[in-house]
Amino acid sequence: MSGLLLLPVALLMLVIVQTTALDLLTLSWIRVEVSLVVVIFSGFHHRLLQGALLSLLLGFFLDCLTSPIFGLHIFLYLLIFFLARIAAERVYGEKPMLVAALTVFCGLLEGLLIVLLYHWLLGANILSSMPRFFIPKAVLTGFLSPFIFAILQHTEALFHAKVPQPSRSLRSE
Amino acid sequence: MFIPKKHRSTLVAVVLLIGAFILLTYGFSRPSETGVLRKLVLGTAVPIKQILNVPLKGLNSLWDRYLFLIGLEADNRSLRRENDVLSAELHQYREGYLESLRLRKLLDLRETFPHRTVAARVIDRGRASLFKTFLIDKGTAEGLQIGLPVLADRGVVGRIIETSWYASRILLIIDENSNIDALIQRSRAQGILQGAYPAGAHLKYISRKEEIQPGDAVVTSGLAAVFPKGLPLGVVTTASRQEGGLFQRIDVSPAVDFGKIEEVIILIPTRQEREER
Repeated sequence: MSGLLLLPVALLMLVIVQTTALDLLTLSWIRVEVSLVVVIFSGFHHRLLQGALLSLLLGFFLDCLTSPIFGLHIFLYLLIFFLARIAAERVYGEKPMLVAALTVFCGLLEGLLIVLLYHWLLGANILSSMPRFFIPKAVLTGFLSPFIFAILQHTEALFHAKVPQPSRSLRSE
Repeated sequence: MFIPKKHRSTLVAVVLLIGAFILLTYGFSRPSETGVLRKLVLGTAVPIKQILNVPLKGLNSLWDRYLFLIGLEADNRSLRRENDVLSAELHQYREGYLESLRLRKLLDLRETFPHRTVAARVIDRGRASLFKTFLIDKGTAEGLQIGLPVLADRGVVGRIIETSWYASRILLIIDENSNIDALIQRSRAQGILQGAYPAGAHLKYISRKEEIQPGDAVVTSGLAAVFPKGLPLGVVTTASRQEGGLFQRIDVSPAVDFGKIEEVIILIPTRQEREER
């Protein structure tokens, strides 16, 4: 129960740190989207409603703090969470290369969907931001995702005071 | 309504995604609208962001400063390189300018003679040699011959003693083998200027009766038909009457600074002059 109460606070802190500290410390044209890796991690490790709630909250906080369009990250993160779940059901274990590749794919998909949504719903062409912003961000986040995965596994183990959990695909739902 | 368990998660996903998409289209249609929840999140996040920003901005400015210093070092290195290149260029231009000044003086000098003149560059000074000679980069191909007089902008340098097709050797007036018919410009007293390196030269065979003063100019007499008359050879530095001798001892400082000569001109006599000789 306390975990359920702490979750929004922890996620809000993550988004704040991501949008403040990481933005300040990384280069101006390249970002690391830790929240995306958390959503993918959730797809591998959490139950459907738990993961969906986490993705929804992360998307909501990101929308509140960064996005001018409310609901954009909620939709994208939910979609990525379900994609990660589908991937987790079809693979055995969490090899770093697989995690990195999936993160890059999800990062690129996120960028592409934002471009398409802007085009369909606002009639705006932001395709140029794909190579300038989304691709570098996806690649860097993908490169760092195995490390972030390892940190999240250890954090979760600490939080639950038990050994790191294997991938959800290895457990019975 | 009964839904099979295996399709339940798919249904939840579809419902959630449709709900999120509806929310998204609503968000797109009213981008400026801020809901209560959003206001609440923003109100909570802003003070935390402000607290986080203080040390982070310090760290960031430190990082920026570090990057700036790295950039500064690179700039510095690049500017140093550029400076070296520009200095070398400037040096070349300065050399070119000085050379043009020297050549201008030589040109002025050659215009004062009716002779055909050939300009040449000194290519070897023979500093270590016992004989005081220069090697120049012109030879018989340019019409040079043994015995021709060689001048610099300030006066006589010497005469050619050896030639090949594209080089010649000059015997300087300060070499002890050099003897030139000379006269004191003021008194017109005539003598022979003999080289006396490193002192310069001595003017020999000047009678004790002549009044010679330090500073008197010594010029070519034109008698031996090697040098035209009146070319500067040097100035008297000391003149002394030795006891019992017939002549004075006169030291002459050459008009030309042999350590600095880079270009010379050679006077080639006209056909008429050659016939007269």
